[in-house]
Amino acid sequence: MKTQDQIQLINDTISKTKDNLKSSAPNFIFWGALITMMSVIHYIFPETIQKTQYSALLYWIIIPIIGMALTIIYNIKTHKKKGYETHIGRALKIIWGVFNMAWVLLIVISAIKHQNPVHSILFLLGVILLITGLLIRFNPITFGGLVVITCSILLVYSSSVSPILINGIAALLGLFFPGLALFYSKSNV
Amino acid sequence: MFKPLDKLLVNPVRLMLVSVLVKVDNCDFNYLKQITETTQGNLSIQLKKLKESGYISIDKSFENNYPKTRCSITKLGLKAFEDHFINLKNYQNLKL
Repeated sequence: MKTQDQIQLINDTISKTKDNLKSSAPNFIFWGALITMMSVIHYIFPETIQKTQYSALLYWIIIPIIGMALTIIYNIKTHKKKGYETHIGRALKIIWGVFNMAWVLLIVISAIKHQNPVHSILFLLGVILLITGLLIRFNPITFGGLVVITCSILLVYSSSVSPILINGIAALLGLFFPGLALFYSKSNV
Repeated sequence: MFKPLDKLLVNPVRLMLVSVLVKVDNCDFNYLKQITETTQGNLSIQLKKLKESGYISIDKSFENNYPKTRCSITKLGLKAFEDHFINLKNYQNLKL
């Protein structure tokens, strides 16, 4: 093979292997929708969700853990179907995996300390979204991360705002809408 | 000073294999077969040669009773690819 042909072959082969991060869009959409709905239900029916001392805690632990199991199954199936894992894909998998463990830990610690974990979780989520958006160079997710971080700071400095309502707004603007944008994106993300 | 091209990577199938593995963290046999558009037998032979040279690592397992082969590039393979690509560019820029 001529040198030019070899270089062309390398370029063609590498370009065939796309990052295809659009397949992660359902994760953002699912979590955005789930957290928004849970927040809205909790905001509208606080007496039901907070019926007992631990009912709100169970509400915010059990349902997301079921959600985590579903998304893990979905991601494993998608990975098997694709047949490969890019470096960015692996990095994002690790980042979000660590986030999943961190938010569970935050909820447990906050339950023990009788503190509201919303601003901490939102700040962590915002940072992870910002990193994700910058890594995959997709602005809606980057802006979504900034919005979520702003929401968390708002909660720290404003005691009159409902944390549950802000949580729902953050999930809608930071996860759901960017997820939809990624899903319908025509660019090669 | 022009260095000789890597004999292993001059083969087009092996060059494609290493090119893919440079791009990904790991991938399976079926994906490599799809990308290289070669036969199963030829792909196995080329992967074996690359593995014997230490350019790639192969992990074999079973999934639902079917064999599953996953490949990834080694540091040696990555270095060999980088050197090969640099040498190709040097030859391309050669003005006679």
